[in-house]
Amino acid sequence: MSASITHDSIATVETHSGSHHNDHGHGHGQGKPGIMHYLWNTDHKMIALQFLWSATFFLIFGGAMALAMRWQLAFPGHPIPVIGHLLPHSVVNDEGAIIPSGYNVLVTMHGTILVFFVAMPLLIGVFGNFLIPLKIGAGDMAFPALNELSYWLFALSGIIMLSSFWVPGGAPGTGWTAYAPLSSVAAYNQTPMGQSLWCAALFINGLSSITGAVNYITTVITMRAPGMTMFRMPLPVWAIFLTAILLILAIPVLSAAAALIIFDLNFGTTFYRPSGYGQPLLWQHLFWFFGHPEVYILILPAFGLTSEILSVFSRKPVFGYKAMVWAMISIGFLGFIVWGHHMYVSGMNLTLSAAFSVSTMVIAVPSAIKTFNWMGTIWRGSIHYTVPMAFAVSFVSMFVIGGLSGIFMASTPVDLFVHHTYFIVAHFHYVLFGGSMFAIFGAVYFWFPKMSGRMFNNTLGWIHFWMTFVFFNLTFFPMHNLGLGGMMRRIADPTVYDCLKQLQPLNVVCTIGAMGLGLATIPFVVNIVWSMLNGPKAPANPWNSTTLEWTVSHPIPHGNFAVTPTVYHGPYEYSVPGLARDFLPQNEKAPAHITLEAH
Amino acid sequence: MNNAAYNDSALFHAPMVAEVSEHDHHAAPPTSPATCKLGMCIFLCSEAMLFGGLIATYLVLRQAAGSWPPNFGDGIELPPMPKLLTGINTVILVSSSFVYHFAEVAVKKGKSGAGWMLLSALMGATFVGIQCIEWTELYHEGLWFNKGGVYGSTFFTLTGFHGAHVCIGVLLILWCFFLQVTKGTFTPKRHVALENVGLYWHFVDVVWVLLYTILYLL
Repeated sequence: MSASITHDSIATVETHSGSHHNDHGHGHGQGKPGIMHYLWNTDHKMIALQFLWSATFFLIFGGAMALAMRWQLAFPGHPIPVIGHLLPHSVVNDEGAIIPSGYNVLVTMHGTILVFFVAMPLLIGVFGNFLIPLKIGAGDMAFPALNELSYWLFALSGIIMLSSFWVPGGAPGTGWTAYAPLSSVAAYNQTPMGQSLWCAALFINGLSSITGAVNYITTVITMRAPGMTMFRMPLPVWAIFLTAILLILAIPVLSAAAALIIFDLNFGTTFYRPSGYGQPLLWQHLFWFFGHPEVYILILPAFGLTSEILSVFSRKPVFGYKAMVWAMISIGFLGFIVWGHHMYVSGMNLTLSAAFSVSTMVIAVPSAIKTFNWMGTIWRGSIHYTVPMAFAVSFVSMFVIGGLSGIFMASTPVDLFVHHTYFIVAHFHYVLFGGSMFAIFGAVYFWFPKMSGRMFNNTLGWIHFWMTFVFFNLTFFPMHNLGLGGMMRRIADPTVYDCLKQLQPLNVVCTIGAMGLGLATIPFVVNIVWSMLNGPKAPANPWNSTTLEWTVSHPIPHGNFAVTPTVYHGPYEYSVPGLARDFLPQNEKAPAHITLEAH
Repeated sequence: MNNAAYNDSALFHAPMVAEVSEHDHHAAPPTSPATCKLGMCIFLCSEAMLFGGLIATYLVLRQAAGSWPPNFGDGIELPPMPKLLTGINTVILVSSSFVYHFAEVAVKKGKSGAGWMLLSALMGATFVGIQCIEWTELYHEGLWFNKGGVYGSTFFTLTGFHGAHVCIGVLLILWCFFLQVTKGTFTPKRHVALENVGLYWHFVDVVWVLLYTILYLL
């Protein structure tokens, strides 16, 4: 039983030599798995790992771009040490210092890659794929081949996105929001090819998301094990199910809008060009109609993953399970009627602005329900201090900080002041890094034993946690002050303004934090790669958890469950009074004398 | 393929997929027709949002342009939309949906239905052909993607997106036709692909009725 799915996937990283034994029981059969085993595999667990490795690559790539930006902001015009000369000339000058247009490229590609090629595949591609079938007691996704197609569309879109660096003009520098007419007129952006490839990559990435989402929704609706009612589903499944619905409704609008940019750039259409009676503001409406649901696409799965981790390590049921589900449903719905709050300064009608302001603040209600329920979950629990728990608790705290600054900006008068400053940058990094990425790190550690069959190294895990937590706050908290001090986003050199020179020490602090954050990735990557190969064998249920994925032993065969499990109760029956053990798996009946409180 | 396992009423209940994993780990669980249909419906929701975005774009630009066709003040008169020819074309496309339905009815009765499939594909191809003629004529009258401002941009982009969908639909129907003629794939009990291609085809036709209304008639 030495070889495992994880072993297999590690082998792909090591340019698979086929030297390991394939003595695991599942019938992939002809002794050694060939290269096609890794390239086209319909097993949802393998697809999850394909997404994991690809997204980790993009995480390092996109993170390195952020470090280059931070270097430039702290030490404007100074050559980047060591690697400065190796960077392409669309980004740096002869001395290896970042040029302004190159800085714009870094801003754009960092944002695009982190949103579409890191956060989405990690949250949805990895955990959606890995957890949904295992948690609902299914053998695989409803459409396994479509699932693998989704991965390859994702990979193709990544290749197209990266290739934009090497076309004439280089990668686009129009920001991840690609506002028209900057993005849609070649004379303005100077990168018509790069911008077109950017749009094409997002279009194909959208197809990948849609095929994935079709699979998730269908799987959740039709493939639940007997007894697994909707309100007995673990919260990560609920979260990713709702996320998939948002994907289906939001992504196609971005695809349409991006296609129109391609047409404007290449075929002479005038959708966003005023000279042909086009409307530049139309892009903002279409983009944010997608963009705001996208915000919840990036955070709902994190909500679900964190809720479960908090419950397991507090040895208590999730406080207000149904309220958690309804809060996510209402957040998902409200997410579609608030897009205008990204556009307060666009010259939009002020009455409309007020309406968007109110609908945005309403989102604070379900968000607060979730936050208080997380606190209720931990409250008086028997808390186990583990690495995933540390990340989950930090997720809640960091998300609250990001959420509160969100309320500031929901209010139009405040937003008029802070819009397009570093206050915004601080806000969305608190929700996207402090929120989504912390949840992802916690979830990677939490499900690592199930994905790999091995335990991670605790010491490295704690080093990773503390470095991430400290340096994250060091990087992003001062950005609130920078923003309120007047420093604008997307500025390659703040020292060109006298009024911003006094803020420069804060910029240096942010950069020191960012370097530390970059270094924090090293123990993480070393930990997962080394532990997948050499970590101690993990028991089937190392956290004494209740959900179905912990009932199968590693290696999990293609098909997952030898016998389809039957589910008898809700997902979080921890510390049930009267039971010998402090957890009751979903597929075990409660003894007759025990009454469970809910569902 | 074990048809007994396919139970349409299983859509909102937990289906039985247990027997698969015990003897053949390699095989994916068989996907029931109801599940496939659900998947197709969800996909069509995303297609609806794609066309929704495009139609919203059209309506916003048209509203903002003031008059329609817009008056650019350059004295060039933009051609009106050919309502009659496209009206006939609309009838052809909508009829093809009914023809396709007859194919499904025939298959359910145990007949081949391949003739209906071929006819439906031919009608779809005719629609595309007439659209091409119309595009050419409008081009010669001075309207194109890059001519006539948003009037040309929206018309060619919206009909282009739809036309691409019709072309894919025609190819899918032809694929069904060849499967049926060469292998007799579709039986009264199981005709998953036929049913799902049908859903797609009906969707594309409904979208066209909308597009015809707002692009040509309004």
